Amino acid sequence: MTMDAVGTFRQRPEKLALLLKNKQGMIGFVLVVAFFLSALLAPFLATHDPAQLDIPARLTGPGADHWLGADQLGRDTYSRVLYGGRVALKVAAIGVTLSLVIGLTLGMVAGYGPRWLDNALLLLFDTIRSFPTIVLALAAVSLLGPSLNLILSIVIITSIPSYARLARTSTLALKNTEFIMAERSLGAGTFRILFRHVMPNVIGPLLILAAMDVPVVVTIEAGLSFLGLGVLPPTASWGTILNEGYLVIRTSPWPVVAGGIPLVLTTLGFTLLGEALRDIFDPKLRGIR
Amino acid sequence: MTQTISRRHFMQAAAFAGTAGLSGVFPGMSFAQDGRKLTVRFNRDFDSLDPGFYVGGHPNNDVNWCCMPSLVHYGFRDGQATWIPSPFVESVVARDSTHIDFRLKQGLMWSNGFGELTTDDVAFSYERMTTSEWKSDYVAFDRVDIMDRYSGTIVLNQPFAPFMNTTLASGTGIILSRKATESVGGKFTTEAPATCGPYVYAWTQGQHVKLTRNPEWTGDAPYFDSIDALIVTEDDSAALAFEAGELDCTQISSEALARYKEKPPADSALTVAGALQYMWLGMNTEHPKLKDLRVRRAIQSAVDQASIIQGAYAGTAEASYGVVSPGLVGKRDSAGYSHDPGMARSLIEEAGASGLELTLRTLNNQERILAATIIQANLAEIGINVTVMPLDAGPFWEMGQESKGDTWKDLEIWIMRFGSGPDPYEPFQWFIRDQVGIWNWERWSSDEFEELFKMGIEEVDSNERAKIYTRMQEIMEETGAYVWLTHEPEVFIHRSDISAKFAPSGEMQLPYFSRT
Repeated sequence: MTMDAVGTFRQRPEKLALLLKNKQGMIGFVLVVAFFLSALLAPFLATHDPAQLDIPARLTGPGADHWLGADQLGRDTYSRVLYGGRVALKVAAIGVTLSLVIGLTLGMVAGYGPRWLDNALLLLFDTIRSFPTIVLALAAVSLLGPSLNLILSIVIITSIPSYARLARTSTLALKNTEFIMAERSLGAGTFRILFRHVMPNVIGPLLILAAMDVPVVVTIEAGLSFLGLGVLPPTASWGTILNEGYLVIRTSPWPVVAGGIPLVLTTLGFTLLGEALRDIFDPKLRGIR
Repeated sequence: MTQTISRRHFMQAAAFAGTAGLSGVFPGMSFAQDGRKLTVRFNRDFDSLDPGFYVGGHPNNDVNWCCMPSLVHYGFRDGQATWIPSPFVESVVARDSTHIDFRLKQGLMWSNGFGELTTDDVAFSYERMTTSEWKSDYVAFDRVDIMDRYSGTIVLNQPFAPFMNTTLASGTGIILSRKATESVGGKFTTEAPATCGPYVYAWTQGQHVKLTRNPEWTGDAPYFDSIDALIVTEDDSAALAFEAGELDCTQISSEALARYKEKPPADSALTVAGALQYMWLGMNTEHPKLKDLRVRRAIQSAVDQASIIQGAYAGTAEASYGVVSPGLVGKRDSAGYSHDPGMARSLIEEAGASGLELTLRTLNNQERILAATIIQANLAEIGINVTVMPLDAGPFWEMGQESKGDTWKDLEIWIMRFGSGPDPYEPFQWFIRDQVGIWNWERWSSDEFEELFKMGIEEVDSNERAKIYTRMQEIMEETGAYVWLTHEPEVFIHRSDISAKFAPSGEMQLPYFSRT
């Protein structure tokens, strides 16, 4: 397995070439890059303050001043879409990264640790997984009120078991391999074994899972914001843009179009990229989700 | 011979069925109105039929007026909303300012074997209201003198001008069966122990209320055999359902009203049920952040009412200058403050409150959120940072009530909307001293206000009542705890061949609906 990992490392240029040859992967890569750039550069790309009200311009269509029209309060839809991308990026980046790190750690501990700890953690993972994310979010928001941090917490908590279970399975397979036993007999500590030798061998599939998880997380945030349970006014989010637009769709379809297209493209981009990475790095993992 | 259905055949058949449905080949599929069946919309689930302990308004009153008796209903005389005798009575006569004689129709039976509707039920129901959550409607009620099984006199302990319009004709004038109510311990919610009216109801929580003719009803028969009230919480979904023919009548949002005024759907009519809603931005005068009158005055001057009407209500709502709604005695034409951000900033600086952080709570619906967003922007201009907290109906309606937890202590500012009956007395009852911690969430009181409130109850001269209620609104405004926002019209769209009747407070009077 160590050899595989080293081999994978050495083959990276080849893998990159494979990605570039993969049409779907390339489309996904371009969409993902566009998503990152538009979100990161929103303050420079936006033409208006996304919270700036201009009531006389309410529900105007696309034009020179408002490229994608204006919403009910005359706010510039184009600028709000760009800033909405920052919310999606924040939730995706923080949510997925923390889920990955915590899930990886707990999964390795479960797989490498004593049986009782493994059982206890498995019970915990299964308990969390038994709660549908949206239902858990609705309950939490009812109790604590809507906020972006709450959404993040829900996303992290409900995503951890997927990463942890995958990491645990890989760790169990590695636990009794010769190179790990050799490390142990040479006196290496558990921490060193897990993070120096086990982690590099289990993280690959988790990274692919993370890429596939980004669109899920983005749609959870947009969904909750659509229901009025996510970000608070006046923060722009694709979900709130869709919600506000949906109610005036027959007066002005532009907010819905403008809020919907980036959501579709971003989820599509991450899905295509994730699938391409999975096919390239580990074809055996096809169909894990 | 066997016949197989290929995928192509299936698709052809499905396409034909869809086209036929859309083109009206099967008219029954296209419109909700068939026979004497009416399909209307409730904008929320109903939660109680008990007039003493319910939230009131739509849809509770809509169901109550179909299934429960009352002495009078809302009607119109000379274009003005007023009370009319209900189908449950032979007569109702206000003999003088403190005596109301009535005679019930004979033979009106309660369901579930609880016997006939009698004067004793009327006495029981009104006496019960004096200790209920709606006791303020019965502040002038003294007793019911029972003449015989069907006749009686309501005796008031003082003249009470709004008694007929805001008490007896409203939802709190509903009559219950003494025996039935006592048999369930004196209170109930959605399962009335006995009903008596032209319809009986069946409720599927969160889905619909089905009203069908009451076979035991011996009074005048309503036009429709059955009424299906679908619970559709989203205004725009309801408008779409109306356009698709799934609903015969629905209340619509201001956004839809603006659209339908320009281009109404075919075979439809718009009816304004009333504009007896009054919405304001409330402030908790006891909260440490808002104790300083200058801060509250600053907020009054900072909020741009015109932008709220245009931005959140598409210009369809009327500007409010108090709690008295358009068309009622005491309605004001202007407020004692105006939109003046410069003055607001000065007041904030004077009070040393720059950078103040406030939480604005509001119901989680589109128009309120938009209004809250505008207020948030307005207050940001004067150095107040506002966090908008949208809430569902449950926690929202409990947040200022001391009996429902401790949220009232943290309450800072909020957007509130109440509805009233067609008398100016009604809105003021929620702001008297006794209502602090119940519905007076602004938590202030004034001796002059209390005195005027009593005077308004007894005064019958319209000009004098106008002076009293105008002054009361000035007192409210001087507390700085109110920024008047809008009077939203209650607008319904319905099929043009349906004669729809509404209470001035915006509920549907379904037994009076008919098709022309």
